[in-house]
Amino acid sequence: MHSEVAVSSEDIRVLTSQLAADPSSLVFLPLGEALRRRGQLDAAQKVAIAGLTRYPDLADAHDLLARVLGDRGDLERAFDEWDIALRLDPGHAGSHKGIGFLYFVAGDLQQALDHLEAARAANPEEDGLDAAIARVRESIAAGGQAAGSAPGPGALPADAAREDEQASRMPEPAAGGRSVPSLFEGLEGADDGLLLLDAKGLRLAGGLKDPGGTQVGDAVAAHLAGVFKDASRAVRLLGLGAWRSVAAESADANFYLAAPTTETLLLLSRDPGVPIGRLARLADRAAETARAWLEGPA
Amino acid sequence: MRVIEPWVAEPLQRFLTESSARLALLMTASGQVVAQHGFTRALDVMSASALGAAIVASTEELARQMGAGPFRALSHQGQTQGLFLSAFAVPRARWIVLVVYDSDSSLGLVQLFFDQLVRELQAAAPDGEAPREVLAADFETELNASLRSLFGR
Amino acid sequence: MTTGLGAALEPITRVRGVRGAMIVSATDGILVAEAVMEGVDAQAVAALAAGLAARLRRATDAAGRGAPVFIHLEAEAGAILAVPGERDLLVVAVTQADVNVGLVRLELRRAADRLA
Repeated sequence: MHSEVAVSSEDIRVLTSQLAADPSSLVFLPLGEALRRRGQLDAAQKVAIAGLTRYPDLADAHDLLARVLGDRGDLERAFDEWDIALRLDPGHAGSHKGIGFLYFVAGDLQQALDHLEAARAANPEEDGLDAAIARVRESIAAGGQAAGSAPGPGALPADAAREDEQASRMPEPAAGGRSVPSLFEGLEGADDGLLLLDAKGLRLAGGLKDPGGTQVGDAVAAHLAGVFKDASRAVRLLGLGAWRSVAAESADANFYLAAPTTETLLLLSRDPGVPIGRLARLADRAAETARAWLEGPA
Repeated sequence: MRVIEPWVAEPLQRFLTESSARLALLMTASGQVVAQHGFTRALDVMSASALGAAIVASTEELARQMGAGPFRALSHQGQTQGLFLSAFAVPRARWIVLVVYDSDSSLGLVQLFFDQLVRELQAAAPDGEAPREVLAADFETELNASLRSLFGR
Repeated sequence: MTTGLGAALEPITRVRGVRGAMIVSATDGILVAEAVMEGVDAQAVAALAAGLAARLRRATDAAGRGAPVFIHLEAEAGAILAVPGERDLLVVAVTQADVNVGLVRLELRRAADRLA
């Protein structure tokens, strides 16, 4: 897992002494990274969080925490931290690399490529980026057959077994690199407006585009996890029994949320001309499809 | 989350989970810390507890001078975060809770689950002697010891 | 409870199956006015409904769509419906399971319009 340059305990001791001598210094960054490389993730996380308390607007600090969280398997929070880093510094190479990796794991090869290329543009000399980019391009060209395989060494820090397990649950991208939600193929709106996510806010299948045509499924999935949690909490505390659906109408779209299983959420989005009642029917069909896939053979 | 009184842990954890509060500090009326969540530095814990207790004390004095009954709670809303402060009774003691929340929560949610927290603490508090009061320095010592052990010393 | 605001809730509560209606501060989740039957925890409904509405707004923002103008949380034994009004207020109804959702929505929208 930790294939980078070896870090000695002497290195840790020196960096710790420097931090102790000046707690406000930025030495927490190399110290946190050194601890992470040695697998001391608890300590690395504490150092990163302590550093962020002093430097909440430092993209490098968010990047450090994201790497630690990524090593711990908390990909959702890792994504959040890299997202923050990029808001603070849109050209931050490490964060583009990290988020690119997460998109690769999730099967969104185009997003992965975009971020890796941004990382290379910000840091052309970094070893391994060319290889990672070439790998993603190969995957796209091959119709996504290699999607979900662990990136090569030197590309990104990750747990290979976890990537394979997650990626194996992704519908395969179609030939030509276009990510098609084949799970919902044949259903109305399969390409856009049907989104399946897990309780942690990770997209499992489907997609959603904004009015400009940009895929926003992952971002929407992340926010919908909070809706899932809030709806469950509301019905529990108010004694309303299990929740069945959340419908929302806006000026330019209607949304319908249902839970195919206790750990997943399905979103349907249509033009406001499609009434909510009809969305409910469509959601029933899509939920059946989702359940069959989720509960089917691994 | 760190607690001095073990019986505080479950109610406080439930409060944190339900309310999605970012920071929480439970302290005695004199500012001595009983439990905290979300703070990363002992200095911040000590400062917040001292300030929180002082704010509650001065607000209560203000209410007394106005001839009003005691204020139930105090809240401040900033651009991205809010602060909630309230005093309540537990058997043989008076405690204060200080909560910081962001857009993941709201004042309404914090108040809702604060009421539940108080009920649960009042029910869980052991009878008999007053809850042990702790010096804030105990927290600092504990936190420093944790950091040392995490560095493999 | 302000008479004016409270009066806006009355037509909602007249719909069969509505157990309570309230006006809530959308940002804080604090109750502004209420008309609820016994057994309905108006404070809890207010806070939870406002929290859900805020989450949905962030999700629709992320989708590049406008903020919700109607929200309906349906559960086995009841429902919560909400319509945002002016001045960062939310009009909320809590209902039994077999309520006429269309009628409640209509009255919620009328009440929200009266808040302007």
